[in-house]
Amino acid sequence: MATLHVLSHSPFTDGRLQSCLRVLGVADGLLLCGDAVHALHTGSTAWPALLEVAQSGRLYALDEDVRARAIAATEQVQRLDYPAFVQLSIDFDKVNTWL
Amino acid sequence: MAKSMLIITRQAPWSGLGPREALDIALAGGAFDLPLAMLFLDDGALQLLPAQQPAAVQQKNLGANLQALPMFGIDELYVCGSSLAERGLSDTPLALDAQILDGAGIKALIDRFDLVVTL
Amino acid sequence: MKFAIAVFAPAHAPSSRRALLFAQAVLAGGHEITRLFFYQDGVHSASSNVVTPQDEQDVTALWRQFVTDNGLDAVVCIAAALRRGVLNSEEAQRYGRTAVNLPAPWELSGLGQLHEAAQVADRFISFGGQ
Repeated sequence: MATLHVLSHSPFTDGRLQSCLRVLGVADGLLLCGDAVHALHTGSTAWPALLEVAQSGRLYALDEDVRARAIAATEQVQRLDYPAFVQLSIDFDKVNTWL
Repeated sequence: MAKSMLIITRQAPWSGLGPREALDIALAGGAFDLPLAMLFLDDGALQLLPAQQPAAVQQKNLGANLQALPMFGIDELYVCGSSLAERGLSDTPLALDAQILDGAGIKALIDRFDLVVTL
Repeated sequence: MKFAIAVFAPAHAPSSRRALLFAQAVLAGGHEITRLFFYQDGVHSASSNVVTPQDEQDVTALWRQFVTDNGLDAVVCIAAALRRGVLNSEEAQRYGRTAVNLPAPWELSGLGQLHEAAQVADRFISFGGQ
């Protein structure tokens, strides 16, 4: 069972990213949207923890949120529009949004 | 066969509706005999502190309602060991009979369920 | 594929708009929405009393339009709604409250509807927080 975890809070003020990474399985995916995309600033304290997920092709970001915030995300981050988001939710067995 | 649901509760008690509304999801599912479990994670672990006195802030006793979970057929209760440790609660006897899990245990727990909701 | 979509945030939260755009993409992709279930602060996404500045999106109106245009089953959790002062005419009358702010097409019901939708659908997805 592979779970798609979804985060939308800034990683700098909130503990969700850290908790999520602690329970992220090897086949699980991580989708960043809203303020969570600020974790993609490669010089930030949040980014190093995401490297492994990014390198294994399991890190996703909602494209509109990356663009809105003018973040220079690396190519390893898979940018999604809404149709791709829907497809991703089908590709994974279940979705766990960190509300 | 019914789909199983894991409810992850991450908020501390007495400061909002999160804990109660997470519990309500569990109780509603229990009333339908659905296979359910609850995980107390991050500040959610604080819901399990013993001898709390919510009457001091004029709130209802959530703890008493949590105790009712097994009566609704929900006896799979878990708490994150790291969340307890971070909050200095590793040696505190908890108000609920919840199994303590580490990160690997939680990963396995999430994998085991058909549905997850984290609030 | 059948989707059950739960919304936990009010209309001014980005996640409510995100849920709407996701829901639109679900239908555009040829899939079905079993039910929309509004819980916690998500009940405010169903309010008929929100007034947005003219140069901003009225997400409550967009939700209403989307539900109506597509004949969707759109449920607001009654317990969550009452606590937050989101009432239809029946509940306003029952409790002697002055304002009715939950219009059609929204139905007030219990969490059993959330569970039923999650059981029936192929995918259950929640939107909330920020």
